[in-house]
Amino acid sequence: MLILRLAWRNLFRNIRRTVLTCLLIASSLLTIIVMDGVMLGMIDVMISGLTHTLEGEAQINSKGFRDDFEPSLRLSNYQEIQSKLMHDPVVQGASARIIVGAMVASTHNNAGAIVYGIEASTEENVSKIADAVYAGSFLSGKEREIMLGRPMAELLEVELGDRLVLTSSTVDSKEIVQELFRLSGLFEFGPETLDENLIFINLTKAQSLFELPGAAHQIAIRFKQPEVANDPGLDLYKSFNDDSTEANGWLVLQPTMGAMLEMTGYTTFIIGGILFLLASLGIINSMFMSIYERIYEFGVLKSVGTRPANIIKLILTEAFFLALISCFFGLILGYFISVYFSTTGIPMGRMEMSGIVLDGNINTILAPYQFISFPIFVTLLTLIAAIYPALFASRIVPTEALQKAL
Amino acid sequence: MIPLINTAAVSRVFGAGEAMVKALDQVSLSIEAGEFTAIVGPSGSGKSTLLHLIGGLDKPDTGTVELNGENIADMSGNKLSDFRRDNIGFIFQAYNLIPVLSAAENIEYIMLLQGITAAKRRVRVKEMLDIVGLAGLEKRRPAQLSGGQQQRVAVARAMATNPSIILADEPTANLDSKTGISLLDVMKELNQTKGMTFVFSTHDEKIIQRARRLVYLRDGLIEKEELQ
Repeated sequence: MLILRLAWRNLFRNIRRTVLTCLLIASSLLTIIVMDGVMLGMIDVMISGLTHTLEGEAQINSKGFRDDFEPSLRLSNYQEIQSKLMHDPVVQGASARIIVGAMVASTHNNAGAIVYGIEASTEENVSKIADAVYAGSFLSGKEREIMLGRPMAELLEVELGDRLVLTSSTVDSKEIVQELFRLSGLFEFGPETLDENLIFINLTKAQSLFELPGAAHQIAIRFKQPEVANDPGLDLYKSFNDDSTEANGWLVLQPTMGAMLEMTGYTTFIIGGILFLLASLGIINSMFMSIYERIYEFGVLKSVGTRPANIIKLILTEAFFLALISCFFGLILGYFISVYFSTTGIPMGRMEMSGIVLDGNINTILAPYQFISFPIFVTLLTLIAAIYPALFASRIVPTEALQKAL
Repeated sequence: MIPLINTAAVSRVFGAGEAMVKALDQVSLSIEAGEFTAIVGPSGSGKSTLLHLIGGLDKPDTGTVELNGENIADMSGNKLSDFRRDNIGFIFQAYNLIPVLSAAENIEYIMLLQGITAAKRRVRVKEMLDIVGLAGLEKRRPAQLSGGQQQRVAVARAMATNPSIILADEPTANLDSKTGISLLDVMKELNQTKGMTFVFSTHDEKIIQRARRLVYLRDGLIEKEELQ
């Protein structure tokens, strides 16, 4: 107990230094808490951007369809699958799609495109296509409706109501087919790869145009709890992974996203490491200052029979108290700053990362581990940083230390 | 009978080359238990060096230092720390109390290292404070005590564990005459009533007058010895 009292009181012998060191440790802790919250928020925005824009949180495709988008690989029983999905308690929405390459022509120009035949009624529960419409209206089921992205509309020099001709081939007979549409809506997702290449028409029209009656290529799924999307043990995945269909979450569908998330984790680790390295140097400096200031005392402590191990224990106890005080303030400040940015968000403007648009604010996300693991980590690092000064103090030669006192 | 302290041909050199100083040169000295001895000499004569060697705070370059028949020059690490803790009490010129501990806690500290129970420590601290005349001041920190009171605490700390010997390095140097005499009277009484062995390094006349044995050092050599 006396060692604890001694260590605690020693901290307050030079209040300014103790406060500065605490500030250093506390600011490192709050920075890592807030930074991790921002990273989690950014990941959330990225995942949401990826899954909610178009892809869905999971998909059921005809086996092999995603390898090269071969249109003949269809889900002939898609309505049955869709019906089962809609009865699955974890599923919020499921929307069927036909995806076929085509040529689109206006009176001024033509372009290659990927045609998505979609169900207007179910798509709104799965993707943000309806939200991306900035002119005209979303599909309503009328036969000749077609929607283009802004850059494609500019290329084709068309406005709402203008005529467009789609040219493609039927899936099975490979006959050339042409169909006239009227531009009913313009959309803008953000990522240019989507806006320049995609065209949306009604699913029933696509089925008749490409001669895929009662069939679809893909069912995009959105879950009630997004976290279940990458659970490989999910019943849904077990049910629909067979000889004719494959069901996968977004992480399997977009492995580059997984790599990017992993990289984000490493970034936090590296920045946190650099931050704590700098803080550690500050701690070592502060502890050494404290030891030099009291060098005669260590001489006395050793003279009266204090073992080197007890000197080490004393310095480490001081470091532990320093870490405790710092963590207390770091946690409080970190919590309030994180809460503030979780509600107001950090304005990031509009930026695109790997085809995913981060738009508007990033709201920090608070997680329990930030307030449990990080302080433990900071305390351990403070103790590690104090080991060298502690060893130095334990090796002080009493006679030399006592001479410095005179 | 084995002397309490026995130094045999002890030498200690500081520095090297032209800056080399021979602080002690082949010093041999024996001190019996219960002595009240002063090592006397001018500044730089080697008094403090000899005291530090006897106390195991420093190691001789040559020779042996035995305390209770054990050669402390060969000890190191925990063994030396424990030996100092259990056998030697130190009183320093600059008091050298731990500023953040109260008078009682300063006295208690070494007993804590020895693993003595809190109840026994408390009793002993009270006893020591009474002996050195500081009853009622146990909660004061060193900064709240006068120089004489601080040195009394240092004496109490040194005696608290009943060490074989108390080494006092210029204990009265920072005290006024009256306070110094008062403190010396306390130590003299302890020597006479409890049989504690005191070894001083000093050039203070007050100590010289009270010491039973005087060992004169000059330039690292024992010049002469006197019994009073």
